Amino acid sequence: MMTTESRVLYVEDEEDDVFFMRNAFKKLGVHDRFHSVEDGGRAISYLAGEEPYADRTRHPLPTFVLLDLNLPIRSGFEVLEWLRGQPQFQQLPVVIFSSSGRLEDRQRAEKLGATEYLLKPTSGSQFLDMARQLSETWLAQKNL
Amino acid sequence: MLTDFISKLQRKPVPAFTVALYIVCVVFMAWIRLGILENSLVTIGYGLPLLICLWYPDRRLLWSLMGTYALMAVYKVFIVTPPAFQSAPFLIWGMQMVNMLVIGFAVHIAVDLLTSLRRKKNELEETNRELVDRREEILRQNEELQSQAEELAQQNEEIQQQSEEVQQQAEELQVQAEELQITTTESGKRQAILQVLLDSLKSDDTRDLPERICHMLMSLLGDCASAAVILEKDGADLVVLAQAGPMGLPTRRWAFDRSFAAVVMGHDRTAYVSDLRLRPDLEGAQTTERMFRSVIATPLKIAGKTAGVVKVYSDHQHEWTKEQFQIIEWMSKQCSLLMDSRRLQTELQLANVDLDRIVKTRTEELQELVNELEHFSYTITHDLRAPLRAMHGFAGLLAEECMDSLNEQSREYLNRITTAASRMDRLITDALSYSKVVRHEMPKEPVDVVRLLRGMVDSYPIFQEPKARIEIADDLPAVMGNEAGLTQCFSNLLGNAVKFVSPGKIPHVRITGERHGDMVRFWCEDNGIGIPKELQARVFVMFQRLSKDYEGTGIGLALVKKVVERMGGSVGLESEPGKGTRFWIELKAADSK
Repeated sequence: MMTTESRVLYVEDEEDDVFFMRNAFKKLGVHDRFHSVEDGGRAISYLAGEEPYADRTRHPLPTFVLLDLNLPIRSGFEVLEWLRGQPQFQQLPVVIFSSSGRLEDRQRAEKLGATEYLLKPTSGSQFLDMARQLSETWLAQKNL
Repeated sequence: MLTDFISKLQRKPVPAFTVALYIVCVVFMAWIRLGILENSLVTIGYGLPLLICLWYPDRRLLWSLMGTYALMAVYKVFIVTPPAFQSAPFLIWGMQMVNMLVIGFAVHIAVDLLTSLRRKKNELEETNRELVDRREEILRQNEELQSQAEELAQQNEEIQQQSEEVQQQAEELQVQAEELQITTTESGKRQAILQVLLDSLKSDDTRDLPERICHMLMSLLGDCASAAVILEKDGADLVVLAQAGPMGLPTRRWAFDRSFAAVVMGHDRTAYVSDLRLRPDLEGAQTTERMFRSVIATPLKIAGKTAGVVKVYSDHQHEWTKEQFQIIEWMSKQCSLLMDSRRLQTELQLANVDLDRIVKTRTEELQELVNELEHFSYTITHDLRAPLRAMHGFAGLLAEECMDSLNEQSREYLNRITTAASRMDRLITDALSYSKVVRHEMPKEPVDVVRLLRGMVDSYPIFQEPKARIEIADDLPAVMGNEAGLTQCFSNLLGNAVKFVSPGKIPHVRITGERHGDMVRFWCEDNGIGIPKELQARVFVMFQRLSKDYEGTGIGLALVKKVVERMGGSVGLESEPGKGTRFWIELKAADSK
């Protein structure tokens, strides 16, 4: 069953970052579990199952969310806040993935219920290490 | 009498001279009686020895002689003289006895008298001598007293003279004291007035200040003043600023021309009119229903310019004295001062309010600008990072995935792209750290520098053998600082120390510390390439890179300097090219006050 499989939803507006992350997952051989949207508004639509993401076969619910903070339409904080306001997503792991090292951003994310806070690497090629670490932590569990 | 008599007889012992005298007398008597006279002139025989008794006052001699006479009388009456011749021998003997006793007593008394006379004489002589002595003494004392008296008289004269002088001085002092008293009272009054005026300066109500001055002026001048008024020239008119007195002026404004104020202001000096009736030409002088007879006025300066007059009226014709001149001039000066300071105060307050408002607005604007800039720099660095990540990433991917189709030169270019992207990233990181140091609060607390440095060395392989040898002294004193800030400082210093070494050389860094009073100086000594003297001043300047051979952003040491300064310390260095550099950081010791 598709629903038992673990999946990631990467919310990111930077196309290059999405490319590197997808590439990294591809190298790990799990790119079919990788889904992405490019802004906060779409992220909420996706998770809520609204159009054009109503088809859960093509757009299945993720088992964890990788969330950038600096996003168009709705910011990462807003998405996180919305998520924690939905009963079905209260336990959903949300990993913040941002280039902001500001302490106040980190604290705000933790306060809103982020599971983890990761700093974006300097180079796109370092995304592979990140993806490996993420899939080991969050994707492997569901495979057991 | 008898006891007295006996007592006089009982004088002991009998002097030998008395006994000898007795014997002589008896022998002499016997010789006269028996040898020479042969029973005739009996009395002479008895009498002569008795004369001796008058000379020699011992009565025992007398009475011994008397006794002997008695025996001799017995012998004569009863033995020598034949009883035939004696009809009554007892009677004769008795008569002779009585005779002798009478003579004896007479002599006795005479001797007594003589003795007492002699004694009295002696006493008198003694007394006399004493008196003479005393007289001499008295005379001498008298002389002394005389001389003393003369001296005293002399002194007396001097004292008299001095006394007169003192008297004179006392009188002078009295006069001065009286003058002083008057002056003191006067100055006390003035001081009290000044105090009131100064107090009124503090109060917010400015309007009644000239009014008070008028009242005070009247109280200072006493009975002479019937009214006081302060006038200000306003265009062609005189305006009453304030007044005091029993009657108010009927108008608040009259023409300046031909007024007494015009005269006073024109000459810019105090003047008076003793009798206004003689000056009907002066306008404004008779502006009250009550007719003032005399007036004195002095110019009033406001902001350094003669702007009006202070005037005092009197009901009577009056010659105004020098003191009164001084008083009105003094009051006018106080009035000027107070009004000026009042004006300045008001202006200052207004300026302050303005300034406060401006400062507040500016601060708000600046704060807004700072916030904008902060947001801007954050966004810029954040947004700059994304393409940088992409550049770096794609260069990496290219190198990784298309290695076979790339020639040497392409790979070299690819390498350069990667290096450039890395440098840009470091630049952004350092710039961000620097702006953070500048903007953010840096709370200070005691920091254990040894622990901090060891932790740093343990976490970074570039600070460990075999890449580098870093020695940290065990006795580095703790300092007051911000741990994050200090970490930034030392990581930059250590980073530089291990970076700027000649190729092939293993970096060797030594960190030591020394105490200077309340301060602690840390030394970071390396074996690097060193810094030429002429460039040493530039190392702490932002974006100053001294060598193109070594990778760097030119921010590190500027950051160190900024951080240390924000922690209240200082930095510096000593260096010799080719031998190494000694950087130092000086901070307050943790146990300093």
